[in-house]
Amino acid sequence: MFGLIADDRLPEYLRAVASRDATAMRSLMDRLLGDGADPVTVLTDVIATVQRDNGERWQRGEWTIAEEHAATAMAVAATKAVSRHVRLVPPTRGRVLVACAEREWHALPAMIIDCALRSDGWDSILMGAATSPVRLNQYLQDYGPEAVAVSCSVLGSLPATRRFIEASTAAGVPIVVGGPAFGRDDVRAKALGATAWAADAQDALVAVATLPAVVPPATPLPARAVSEQADLEHDHRRIVDVLASTWSVTADRRLGPADAEVAVDALNQLLHAVSAVLLTGDSRPVPETAAWILDVVVPRGLDRAVVGELAVAASAALQAYPLARAIVDTHFTDEL
Amino acid sequence: MRLLTLLKPELADWAALAVPDARSGGLRLQGGDAVGFTAVISHSAIAGTRLDRLLRTGNTDVVDGADALVQMLPYPALREELAGRGLDQLLAVGLNARGATLGALLLARRGGFDDEDVAFAARLAARAAVALDSARLYEERAQIATVLSGALRPPSLPDVDHVQLAARYRPAAEHIDIGGDFYDVLGSERDWLITLGDVSGKGVEAAAVTGRTRQSIRTAAHFDRHPAALLRALNSVLYQDGSDHFVTVLCAWMQVAPDGAHADVEVAAAGHPAPIVLRADGHVAQLEVYGTASGMVPDVEYRTVSVRLHRGDTMLMYTDGVDEAHGAQGLYGVDRLLALLPAYAGAAPDVVCEAVEQHVVEYVDGRPHDDIAMLALTCSD
Repeated sequence: MFGLIADDRLPEYLRAVASRDATAMRSLMDRLLGDGADPVTVLTDVIATVQRDNGERWQRGEWTIAEEHAATAMAVAATKAVSRHVRLVPPTRGRVLVACAEREWHALPAMIIDCALRSDGWDSILMGAATSPVRLNQYLQDYGPEAVAVSCSVLGSLPATRRFIEASTAAGVPIVVGGPAFGRDDVRAKALGATAWAADAQDALVAVATLPAVVPPATPLPARAVSEQADLEHDHRRIVDVLASTWSVTADRRLGPADAEVAVDALNQLLHAVSAVLLTGDSRPVPETAAWILDVVVPRGLDRAVVGELAVAASAALQAYPLARAIVDTHFTDEL
Repeated sequence: MRLLTLLKPELADWAALAVPDARSGGLRLQGGDAVGFTAVISHSAIAGTRLDRLLRTGNTDVVDGADALVQMLPYPALREELAGRGLDQLLAVGLNARGATLGALLLARRGGFDDEDVAFAARLAARAAVALDSARLYEERAQIATVLSGALRPPSLPDVDHVQLAARYRPAAEHIDIGGDFYDVLGSERDWLITLGDVSGKGVEAAAVTGRTRQSIRTAAHFDRHPAALLRALNSVLYQDGSDHFVTVLCAWMQVAPDGAHADVEVAAAGHPAPIVLRADGHVAQLEVYGTASGMVPDVEYRTVSVRLHRGDTMLMYTDGVDEAHGAQGLYGVDRLLALLPAYAGAAPDVVCEAVEQHVVEYVDGRPHDDIAMLALTCSD
């Protein structure tokens, strides 16, 4: 279940995650690192690998959200232990700010990047989940960092990440972005004006080390797309309400309370995907989200036809947003 | 760095800055082939050189030939960069702003500089100097603020045997990282005092009062950790202080059983929302404990309530930034909080705090919010 990575430390780590005992997790990490394990490998091959599997279990409906949170808390405890270990050695390189933009609550990937950068000698400063651009600006002024690294897991945080890119480059500071919301190549990162894109933690280390010292301000995004995306964001809740009242899954209450929340969340995700396409010009988020919704609803006992029905409902709900509507009409079924 | 990037290659092939370094008291050399390069040399190393003279006079100077270069560029590695490019002339321009010389701009270029170039470099240096001076002033102010605010940031939590602690803090003015909410945990072994509170008002002024309040609590707790006595003492101190601000506080005195099977907590409240207890089985209830906010009237008596937490039970303390958060559907309210929590029964306190924070911030959906602080403790193994 962990793909090709067969790290012999995995079974022990999984036992510690299952134990829900933060102290046991801490001692396991202390022992591994004390025995000379490479901190970055522990972060990427053990902690991040297991965490990806946690997310998939939730998606398949095997885990409740509380169970997923609890498993994440163990990964956080493990990362904190690694962080304490790498901070025993003073930094040898410049400052790097590590942050998540607004609507990004997955703090763990940023913690992992922070930890990896610190172990590579950077004086990294972790700003935590869901940070406003105003706070980033303050930190840019206060700390005068050599780079900013942003982790973005959810599509909904891409617009806020663009604001981070504007803030950082306006101060001349290069910015590296990465995370699932950017996909598997640098198309979205480039489109949003990031200085560099990183596929994973190892890649982030390479990217940060090879950044230019100063960068020019990011070029403006296409005006029509930006303005429609802003409207879409402003009207987000209203559109979700309209969709929820027309899509049979939510309108006819075909799921239990916990799964119903998942269904409403799927509507949020779809609109966020449309926003992402508007800003980046990369059409893939919409069909990928459609495929994701299919993966979420089918294990919960619904027919796959409900996803096609959603495409029709979304097109109708987006009538006042011509670019967004065209995106749904053209790309929703690309991967179904 | 930006200045150096602008200069190359339009005005010069090679550019560096020499500016006094406030921290070390030496001279910082920055730039050269790599704009990011910096090195600090001592002032004594340049005593009597032409660079030293220029830094005192603020004049412009052109040096020619390897011997003269030593006088103007007292750093072998940078001289080698010039030699490597076949350059042996250096134009040095004083950076003068607001009646003081801030440093020197050092430029080199193939073919040298004519009079017009020198005049242009001088004009550019004058503008750059004002910008650098403004930046220096700003940086000093920022430095003062950073040091002072560092003392007002929430503390890191201690490790407590058999009890896990977690806290969250999201100030209303998020960018300054400090606000009117505070929390503190003090004690040792099995005997702990946990406080969480809220100074009326927001931002820097409220933050200054949180510093005083936390210190008063720490001092009072040194003599008596009973919550009622402690809040009584705090009220007197803050009242006598005569400040416009009043403070709401929760005070929890926790004694952990020797085997860690349970913890007894005695709680008193001064005008603050009572803690919520989330049992391992998902049962959830807010404690019933009330009292007058601190610092408003003299001589207040406080009542306490006691609760026993067993393994997997969590007690959540929060400030009104949580229940009074404004969203599209009005106030967030305690009922929403009580409805959210049962799903997190038995979870680590980190998980509980994170869930509440995320729920509240998403509820607020970009609207301004008050300071939000939370502290949760969970009885574990």
